[in-house]
Amino acid sequence: MGPLIPNGIIPPEWDFVIALLIGIIFGYVLEASGFSSSRKLAGVFYGYDFVVLKVFFTAAVVAVIGIYYLDYLGFIDISKLYIHPTYLWAAIVGGIVMGLGFILGGFCPGTSLCAVAIGKIDAMAYGVGILIGVFIFSEFFSFIQPLFDGSNYGAITLVDTLGISPYWFIFLFSLVAIIAFVISDLVRKKVKKIFY
Amino acid sequence: MENKVKNKHVYWNPYFGGFMLGLLLIFTFYITGRGLGASGAFKSTVVTFVDDVAPTHASKNAYYEQFIINGKSPLNTWLVFETLGVLIGGFLSGALGGRLKLYIQHAPNITSKKRLFVALLGGLFFGFGAQLARGCTSGAALSGMAVLSTGGFVTMLAIFGSAYAFAYFFRKNWI
Amino acid sequence: MSKTYKYKKIIIRRRYRILAAILIILSGGLVLLPKYQKNVGIKPETFLLNLMSPERYISTDFLANSLISKDPSILLIDVRSAKEYSDFSLPNATNIPLSTILKPDNETYLDQDGYKVIFYSNDNFFADQAWLIAKRFGYNNIFVLKGGLNAWFNTILNPEMPKTSDSELEFQKYNTRKAAAMFFGIGAVNTLNSNAATPNIAPKKIILTKTKKKTTGGGC
Repeated sequence: MGPLIPNGIIPPEWDFVIALLIGIIFGYVLEASGFSSSRKLAGVFYGYDFVVLKVFFTAAVVAVIGIYYLDYLGFIDISKLYIHPTYLWAAIVGGIVMGLGFILGGFCPGTSLCAVAIGKIDAMAYGVGILIGVFIFSEFFSFIQPLFDGSNYGAITLVDTLGISPYWFIFLFSLVAIIAFVISDLVRKKVKKIFY
Repeated sequence: MENKVKNKHVYWNPYFGGFMLGLLLIFTFYITGRGLGASGAFKSTVVTFVDDVAPTHASKNAYYEQFIINGKSPLNTWLVFETLGVLIGGFLSGALGGRLKLYIQHAPNITSKKRLFVALLGGLFFGFGAQLARGCTSGAALSGMAVLSTGGFVTMLAIFGSAYAFAYFFRKNWI
Repeated sequence: MSKTYKYKKIIIRRRYRILAAILIILSGGLVLLPKYQKNVGIKPETFLLNLMSPERYISTDFLANSLISKDPSILLIDVRSAKEYSDFSLPNATNIPLSTILKPDNETYLDQDGYKVIFYSNDNFFADQAWLIAKRFGYNNIFVLKGGLNAWFNTILNPEMPKTSDSELEFQKYNTRKAAAMFFGIGAVNTLNSNAATPNIAPKKIILTKTKKKTTGGGC
């Protein structure tokens, strides 16, 4: 019955070994999908390469379907999983700032690490930027704290927010993903090709 | 006429990559009960650095303070190990795909210097935003979406919405 | 466009269609699958197994031994009413009447890792009920004093003299029990009350640490 470590089936001492292993696979998959190239990543915003959209959506759909099947079959208990808590305004403002960072830098933290691993110097500058960003955030934390801790809705899911059955939501989510893939291919045909 | 110009590198089919990433997410949730992450390691690095340079300052700051546990390095966390793994994994894949090369990747319209500056600025914003939203694209958006977390979806929409909104102003940097 | 290129494209498009269909079937399957009620707490099968196993019982001898050796790891819980508790109780026992066991305040006593929680009542009937409730919520380290206070009274405080035909072991046990009775401040049965029972044992400080929440913190 999963999750294994919180339920004590795998002792916590293995935590770090597993973390390293998961990280290696994560890094490998990201790099092999082309996430180590900022120009490829930025393509999603200019319509010349939709790899971000495709990988991201496919991963989310596969994961959510898989997790709900495992829950249905009793292999995993969804209520014991870590649900990212919702601090509404912090999430919105943070997301907007991250979006700006994304379009400027062309990476997100995970992909920048992959790019650093294969020797992209711009990714290293990006990583240093992240460190400075975190530092600034922490130094000015007392000013930001009301926003950071405000509008806390706890660990809610869309099931609570929208009042929809998770299964129906997943079904609609997959349909939206497929439609998005089709549209992205159509857009890509229209847009001037860019090679990098 | 077949297109003669091609991208330099051949990557996995994006759907295959996404599928593998999805399987990894399921595996991660099954084993550890939480999702993937990346920006957490950056935070730990900053906390360690500040704690080493100015311990009193760090213990006074409400944000650092919550990550400093006496006698335990802030680096000794799950995400730091995972991030080390990401570096190793990325290196392995790059090595096998022949993509190991020390260079600055930038669009032909901008100089290397400008690219570095913009990348630094982008990282700064992303680092700041990731702290505010309690996670980046992998920790908040992807892992959040996998368990249908409302916050995850909101973060994802905000990131991509704002990136699309700003995309026009920075098009010279990319195309 | 060359012919092979075109042909390849058609194959790829067909593959994508199949993949999309698989995705829709899988996610649609989630919608269509018959739903069943998920129970909170442990699975019925595990519950039944726990129920049949006698492992939950702790003997009075074991308890006496732990109390004498000041075993810090046990937490005695009296599930009788408050009045009965004030009349007589075991040393360092905490009173949680059975009717209030589901109150949130009491959860900290039950849902924790630090102690062996031992329920007792006059016999083991009400203690067993308390055990059932606690176990049902998946709490660990929950035990029941076998025979309850009656057994405590009959075996520890007022042990029965073994017959001469009994084995050496029975006599040893008798002597230990007799000594235990002395320890709990009782030579004779009639001095049996709560005040007489406690002086030898310093009140125990109970520090409760709640079982760590099963969900892990921190994503990114």
